[in-house]
Amino acid sequence: MGFDELEVLLVEDNETDAELTIRALKRKNLANNLVWVKDGEEALEFIFATGRYSEREMHDLPKLVLLDLRMPKVDGMEVLRKIKADERTNKIPIVVLTSSKEDEDIVESYNLGVNSYVSKPVEFDEFTQAVSTLGLYWMLLNKSPE
Amino acid sequence: MRILSASHEHRHEKYRITALIASFCLVLFLACNSNLSHINSNLGFSFYGSLFLVSFWWKNKSWLAPAIIIGIIVFIMLISFGFGSLLSEDYFKLLMIVLVVIVVAFLFERIERVRILNEMNEKLTKRTEKLEDANKELEAFAYSVSHDLRVPLRAIDGFSRIVMEDYEDKLDDEGKRLLNIIRENTHKMGQLIDDILLLSRASRQEMKFAKIDMEELVKRVFDEQKMSSQTQDVRLELKSLPPAYGDRALLQQVLNNLIANSFKFTEPKDERIIEVGAENGKNEVIYYVKDNGVGFDMKYKKKLFGLFQRLHSTNEFEGTGVGLSIVQRVIRRHGGNVWGEGELNEGATFYFSIPVGK
Repeated sequence: MGFDELEVLLVEDNETDAELTIRALKRKNLANNLVWVKDGEEALEFIFATGRYSEREMHDLPKLVLLDLRMPKVDGMEVLRKIKADERTNKIPIVVLTSSKEDEDIVESYNLGVNSYVSKPVEFDEFTQAVSTLGLYWMLLNKSPE
Repeated sequence: MRILSASHEHRHEKYRITALIASFCLVLFLACNSNLSHINSNLGFSFYGSLFLVSFWWKNKSWLAPAIIIGIIVFIMLISFGFGSLLSEDYFKLLMIVLVVIVVAFLFERIERVRILNEMNEKLTKRTEKLEDANKELEAFAYSVSHDLRVPLRAIDGFSRIVMEDYEDKLDDEGKRLLNIIRENTHKMGQLIDDILLLSRASRQEMKFAKIDMEELVKRVFDEQKMSSQTQDVRLELKSLPPAYGDRALLQQVLNNLIANSFKFTEPKDERIIEVGAENGKNEVIYYVKDNGVGFDMKYKKKLFGLFQRLHSTNEFEGTGVGLSIVQRVIRRHGGNVWGEGELNEGATFYFSIPVGK
């Protein structure tokens, strides 16, 4: 897939969670142009077109980033911080999608400028509902600056 | 001097001991000065003695040591006045030396006590630090549990569903039933994890004490429950409630659990009434949540607050049996008590006491 119509960047280290998320988005036809990276380091390299993604055009940014928090190497908070700190990327809507419900994580994420914080439900129906709802909202209903 | 450390309570001790030593030196000087008559020495000694007396009473609020001092004073005075003419300078000096020994013994005993107190204080501080460390470890553990256990659980639930969806035509009714059992159990496990987390948070979370408007809290909890259970036919009878002194979030959890229970166990009834009121006790306020639900047999009242203890099967009423355990832990942390009374098919009343604020 070419990166020219990139829509969603999914940053998720757990494969089963990733599969369930992609499946939920596919149902609503939101996963056609989705890129899945498995850790924070790869996510940053992708967004800023460095390292293994240095061939990428940086101006082609995702319309939505789904971000897990606890990941090996570089964790979600760090990714959030870096993306929101850079002028070129800070307008991208970032939705933290994580198993954690801990207050400190929620507070820290909002301090760093996260657009939305969603706690992954355990039950499949709820999970699918949550993902498709947020996918539809951020990709179709919400307007981002160009 | 290390034994006279600068800690707040020991500052007074330091002044006291200094004053005592100073006045004692004065007495000694008066006593050993052969130019002065016995009467002056006695005066000096009486002055010293009364200082001692007052300081003992002030510190210990007890009359034992002062009584001993008075006895010694009287004894000395009797000897001096009664046998003054017979008693030579040397005998008097001997008596004073005896007195010196007694007084020094007292003083050293005091000093030793202060030193021991300091030592105990240090040990306590070290132990508190260790406890705080252990607590932090537990918090990290609980977080890990909640986070890491949920991930495979989600996978089990999700992929069972995927099998059911993608292979619908290849599965018979039995196959679907078996897969549904898998999903129901993951749901239960998720519930258990959440409950264990709630319980651990109730025990660990730092309490912020404030004056809480209990009437407003009850109304809010009741309205939330009513909305989430989507029923209209539960009625709240709220009596006047005095404000409570405690942690708002934790007390909200307590009311939440008790009122949720009332909602749950009044469901089979046509007319559902929840009554919340309070009585003033000695140094405490006793609140109660009363419902006209299915109640319980009083012979099980000891089991009410046990962890994961239930008096009904999951088929009759859902739940994991952690709600009342949480209530008990929170109220205990507030220094109060919790107990329940019930009658089968008539209803149940749960009482909790909260000490009056400082």
